[in-house]
Amino acid sequence: MEEVLDTEFRGRRGRLFWMALRFSILNVLTLGLYRFWMKTRLRRYYWSSVRPGGLPLEYTGRPLEKLLGFLIAVTFLAFYIGLVNLVLMFLSLSLLNHDYGAYAISFVGVIPFIFYAAYRRRRYMMARTRWRGLRFGLAPGAWGYAWRAIGHWLLTILTAGLLWPRMTFWLEKYRTDRTHYGNLRLEQTGRWTMLFPAIVPLILGLLFCAAVIVVSIWQEERQVMTGLVLGLPWLVYGLAHYRTVTFRRLTEAKTAGAIGFRAAPRPWRVFRIYMLGTTLIVLAVLAFFSLLGLVLAAFFAGNLDELGVIAELPERLRGLPTWAKAVLALVVYFNAFVFWDVLTHVFLTFPLWRHFAETLQVTGAPALAAVRQRPRDAAQEAEGFAEALDVGAAI
Amino acid sequence: MTAVLRVGAKPEPFRGAGVLLDGTSPVPRPVSLAIDEDGPALILSRPDASDERWPLAALRQLRDQADREEMVLRTAEDDDARLVVREAESRRILAARAPALHRRPPVTGTRRLILWGAAAILSVAAIIWYLVPLMADQLAEYLPPEGERVLGERTLEQIRGALDETGFGLLRLCDDPAGDRALAALTARLTDEAALPYDVTARVLDLDMVNALALPGGIVVLFRGLIEAAETPEEVAAVLAHELGHVAARDPTRMALRTAGSVGVLGLLLGDFAGGTVVLFLTERLIRAEYSRAAEAGADAYAHGLLAEAGLRPSALADMFDRLRAEQAGDGAEPPGFLRHFASHPALGDRIAAARTADAALSGPSRAALAAEDWRALRSICQ
Ligand SMILES: [Zn+2]
Repeated sequence: MEEVLDTEFRGRRGRLFWMALRFSILNVLTLGLYRFWMKTRLRRYYWSSVRPGGLPLEYTGRPLEKLLGFLIAVTFLAFYIGLVNLVLMFLSLSLLNHDYGAYAISFVGVIPFIFYAAYRRRRYMMARTRWRGLRFGLAPGAWGYAWRAIGHWLLTILTAGLLWPRMTFWLEKYRTDRTHYGNLRLEQTGRWTMLFPAIVPLILGLLFCAAVIVVSIWQEERQVMTGLVLGLPWLVYGLAHYRTVTFRRLTEAKTAGAIGFRAAPRPWRVFRIYMLGTTLIVLAVLAFFSLLGLVLAAFFAGNLDELGVIAELPERLRGLPTWAKAVLALVVYFNAFVFWDVLTHVFLTFPLWRHFAETLQVTGAPALAAVRQRPRDAAQEAEGFAEALDVGAAI
Repeated sequence: MTAVLRVGAKPEPFRGAGVLLDGTSPVPRPVSLAIDEDGPALILSRPDASDERWPLAALRQLRDQADREEMVLRTAEDDDARLVVREAESRRILAARAPALHRRPPVTGTRRLILWGAAAILSVAAIIWYLVPLMADQLAEYLPPEGERVLGERTLEQIRGALDETGFGLLRLCDDPAGDRALAALTARLTDEAALPYDVTARVLDLDMVNALALPGGIVVLFRGLIEAAETPEEVAAVLAHELGHVAARDPTRMALRTAGSVGVLGLLLGDFAGGTVVLFLTERLIRAEYSRAAEAGADAYAHGLLAEAGLRPSALADMFDRLRAEQAGDGAEPPGFLRHFASHPALGDRIAAARTADAALSGPSRAALAAEDWRALRSICQ
């Protein structure tokens, strides 16, 4: 076996587009039930497109086990959320005379569950991921993760974000040290301070934006605000830089016996994907709504020559019977939803996966020969809690 | 290989290659492939180990794979071993010979799925229809008036947002000064005698719907359609008094707290599908039960007392019901929302009768609810 394994990426944007489109429409038609199938099938596609050493990853999760996990989560969470929401609403109204408080606190009420759910989700995904026929695995420890995550978040907030790299490092270490490939345990080495340089562009961007806002308010010069045209992309770059550089450093500091990793994702590339992706998504959604406007105009006017009818469209729509308005609103709403979902896959998730995959290498590959299979992890709750609480990444 | 000579159409001899991942070690093993017609089965042979037989009927291909130039196979029984075939010719022959390449794995654990499905439904039902209402009723008793007021204002905003036709803004609240003064005078006349924990504010929403609502914290909302449908100010006063009955009993506060409790649970069920807002709203409307019959009867009784004390005829409400019912029967149209709401309680006839009987409590002659010019102002409050 070669010493270093490169990672190939074999996904195709066009095929992903049609898959995501078909599944999203089915999802709307089944009132959201198809999402368990949709997630499974899209993951199979994403996983199999990543090929370290020329052999694809495999996702072995099943739709019905996701449904089961979701039902289990709903059974428990319904009690918690129903009662906690009610009590918090009451307390907020009677103590603060405000209900925004209730929304904020009720979010606080589910925070432990959110981290718990995120860990369970990862455990499920690991247990259902294989490479070269061997399973990955993540040892139990969701509550331990939740408490640590809350502690790290508090520290991060109290230090105005300065300790964010520390949180990133320790949470990644918690997860990595519990991760196995077959019977081989991974380990996160390194120190949290090695991530500190990653956050510098973001901090500078924040300082710049703050300076622009303060100066423009102080001097009452509105034009100064145009500095945000530079400042906001700077912030996006700062995030891209942070994500990319922390991923690179953390990955290169992971070991599994004699096996190691090299990662070389580029911050500017990730920044370009973010900016271009969001722009294309917004443009596509705008194009869709303009098209819808034209179709409606044609419908009311009979032909498109009388384009003046677009101006009176709001008036005409108002004149529609209630049921027609409801149907129209639903159609527009669901279309926007489907569009958003599909375009996010095509213009954001897909290029990010491709870039992070293509720049990943496995070193010390001959040591793989000694690894053996690990037992199955039933992970009965699957990712039900994450599904119910809407926790998780794009896929 | 069997040495039997076959007569007639002979399957083409097959020699292929693939990579076996045996499911215990991650080392890929190159294998040569052949088909044993006795079975028939796919034979995987490699120099350093004995042959493996994978029956053709048990071959399954992994679905939704990114690389279409490659076939990843497994057997129906064993979940761990994988055979990766890249050669185009081998893939073509296997696709032609293996009869159940695309068969889905059998569905397992149906029982458990059904049990947990029932548990989830029971849990949600118990929460929404039993525990949340129970707690909401208890908590509503302890909510201070200021808190109720905030809740009412937020609810009004939500209702205005939901009823707005453009879907983006808030439905207009009518605010013609003269009309507002007339409405305030009417409200004051009714509430002067009542001992309510908060100041009552009556507002008119610019919507062509015959309806009226009480919200937490003493906010009463009349719809323009209701004022237009009323023939006398006494009819508006009677509706107002009925809604004040709900205010006095804190019915809307209970309802709003129930909603707060169930919204989170429903959000849980619907997941990220459609962001939830529209579906959430629709579903919420469905489960938002009308007030109970007892609550309606209580509001009626309270209204009768209030009207009699203010020197107004309680039977004005009955007049309005009767007229609306007759109009509706006349043109065969759908009953207006208001009447449908009342009619959904089977005792509508009883309630009309009760309103007429309540006139007896009126000592002395009834007085006009509003002076003629105030009534005109109220009717044009939305202009
Ligand atoms: Zn009522």
